[in-house]
Amino acid sequence: MSLLHLGFYSAFTLSCLGLAFHRTHLISALLCLESMMLSMYIALSTWPIENQAAASSLMPILMLAFSACEAGTGLAMLVASTRTHGSDHLHNLNLLQC
Amino acid sequence: MTYFVLFLGVCFVLGSLAVASNPSPYYGVVGLVLASVVGCGWLVSLGVSFVSLVLFMVYLGGMLVVFVYSVSLAADPFPVAWGSWGVVGYGVGFILVLAVGVVVSGVVGDWKVGVISVDSGGMFSVRLDFSGVAMFYSCGAGLFLVAGWGLLLTLFVVLELVRGLSRGAIRAV
Repeated sequence: MSLLHLGFYSAFTLSCLGLAFHRTHLISALLCLESMMLSMYIALSTWPIENQAAASSLMPILMLAFSACEAGTGLAMLVASTRTHGSDHLHNLNLLQC
Repeated sequence: MTYFVLFLGVCFVLGSLAVASNPSPYYGVVGLVLASVVGCGWLVSLGVSFVSLVLFMVYLGGMLVVFVYSVSLAADPFPVAWGSWGVVGYGVGFILVLAVGVVVSGVVGDWKVGVISVDSGGMFSVRLDFSGVAMFYSCGAGLFLVAGWGLLLTLFVVLELVRGLSRGAIRAV
């Protein structure tokens, strides 16, 4: 495997693992999502270089646009839950208590 | 120069490790800023400077700025940094998972470092990323409109999410 591929692949895996484990704050999970988007952007940017396909360099820009949408929506949910519960601690989101 | 690019790659992985191990959000954002700056440098070293500058301006200068001031909503009175045992434990555990995965998959010893050219070895007169992204305005005009429509829709989604007083999606107050 090329070391470039190993770099963004391991960054993606680390961010996935970071998203999967329990956190105190909701915004830490959102930061892990952003880190996943960053590693995917780098991956999509290196693909047109390796395959010399210029039209594929549209993909990282498009992905960045939709990732901005997703980050905005996630932060809106963070703000809404902070205004309702007083903080963004994940143990406050316990509506489905069992 | 090869070693410098490999160092940028290592810093990218370390930046995302800093986000994934469980520090306070203040330090997580620092890790994300480091990872995106180093990622831009990495893309520049590969030759695609346009997508690197787009990443810098849109991601670092737009999205991360919004994240930095949203982190102030999540303020900890005593932030947990990289000296505490919980964060160090998470970090060591993640590095261990990564190392075991790399060794078990048999990639060790199979490293390749290549040289890639951005102008097709001299056959292109414009660079690869400039000419590719310019297709947003010619063949990819439909994609451009879809992306713009999605961004406009997100504004209204955000408006409805933070609206309160029993008319909103999440807020009850």
